Amino acid sequence: MQRGDGGGARDTFDQAQQTGRGFSPEHDNFEGSSGLLFEQAMAQTRMAVCLSDPRQEDDPIVFCNKAFEKLTGYRQDEVIGRNCRFLQGPKTNQAQVAKLREAIRTEDVLVVELLNYRKDGSTFWNALHLGPIYDEQGELRYFFGSQWDVTDIHLARAEEKHAKAMAREVSHRLKNVFAVIGGIVNITGRAMDSRSVSNKINERVQALGRAYEPTLDEAAFGTIEVGQAIRSVLSPYDPEGDRFIFEGNGARTEPNAVSAMGLTLHELATNASKYGALSAEGGTIAVSWHHEEDRHGRQALIIDWKETGGPAITQTPTSTGTGFDIAERLLAYSRGTLDRNWEGDGLRARISLPLKA
Amino acid sequence: MKSVLILEDEPFIAMDLQLAFEDAGAEAAVTVSCDEAFAALAERAIDGAVLDVNLGHGETCEPIAVELRKRRIPFLLHTGDLDRAGEALRDFEAPIMAKPSGSDDVVARLFELRGTHETA
Repeated sequence: MQRGDGGGARDTFDQAQQTGRGFSPEHDNFEGSSGLLFEQAMAQTRMAVCLSDPRQEDDPIVFCNKAFEKLTGYRQDEVIGRNCRFLQGPKTNQAQVAKLREAIRTEDVLVVELLNYRKDGSTFWNALHLGPIYDEQGELRYFFGSQWDVTDIHLARAEEKHAKAMAREVSHRLKNVFAVIGGIVNITGRAMDSRSVSNKINERVQALGRAYEPTLDEAAFGTIEVGQAIRSVLSPYDPEGDRFIFEGNGARTEPNAVSAMGLTLHELATNASKYGALSAEGGTIAVSWHHEEDRHGRQALIIDWKETGGPAITQTPTSTGTGFDIAERLLAYSRGTLDRNWEGDGLRARISLPLKA
Repeated sequence: MKSVLILEDEPFIAMDLQLAFEDAGAEAAVTVSCDEAFAALAERAIDGAVLDVNLGHGETCEPIAVELRKRRIPFLLHTGDLDRAGEALRDFEAPIMAKPSGSDDVVARLFELRGTHETA
């Protein structure tokens, strides 16, 4: 039978025994077939493992495997006989170390993440798993420690955190920019005695701001989630949160589609507030979205708008209003369409926006 | 409501709010820092306030919020980032108007607040 790397572990045992520091495989049932399996497993695992002997002064390490050497840069003979605190350094979180000490004192199992130092002074994040090992009489014999290098996970977490913080900052600033724009428009409207015009401008600009706002967090994806933008645009028309019924999956679209989509939804909601479902007590609007192939065979984003519970509609309104004209025209620039059907119990509308292949 | 305190470091927003309050028949003292706001509180009677939360250079409206709470003067927090409003301000449970909000809406909300405050 090939021993392979198992020899390394045997060396360790031998060394530990030779140094007379109390690690004895025979005494600890590491002999026979289970001993061999233990050795081979220890030698081959990529997980760094060490054992310490709490019955000796200062709980020294009495065994470590190859992976431990590889991870820490220390050779076995530099490790055996020392308390494992030599892996700590100036930036190691002392609160975590205190947890470690407490777990050793109370013979508890613990997993902590520690910043540890290699022999060459470089650092790594160590997910340390620690637990007591008892003998047949129930006496504490060893502490088992497994070390796993989780530096890459820590880096990824830090990057993600940074990206989120940046997105939040951008979002905050954008909100402020839109607030300032709102101020400028209002002030100008007042000065020129055109409050009704400035109010309309502001409503549209702010609807646009809301449509773009949820896109920032996700700018990295290149596309945005439709549902978030829809909810955000429509939120001011439903302060109690009981007028809109949203239904859709995580369909995504290009950020470019947001302005036409946002403005169209704003016009539909404004219309509903004046004449439709939102003008009557208890009226509701179902808004759903999905992807499908449009009439030209292109993938398109479809948003369906269905009002119920509003005033009864007896005839199709003759004047459609400038708001809808602007919305239709904007959609047309994106090669999209807005279809409206005035049915008895309320307006049905469908926004269709082709997606770039 | 006759006299309102505005604490806001962005000029356009401050001006818009001031004009909106004037349209509603209230006089608004515009301040850009807590120091100025304290001075305004010292020299005139204030019936209500709109406070921007982040005033730049790490300053927040917290000291003024504490003072207004002590004097039982109703106020709104007007902010673009609720997460950064800070724990202390969140504990005030003061109504929050998210920026951007229409200035008329802010005015209406403060008047509403004053109404409930007076009847309470």
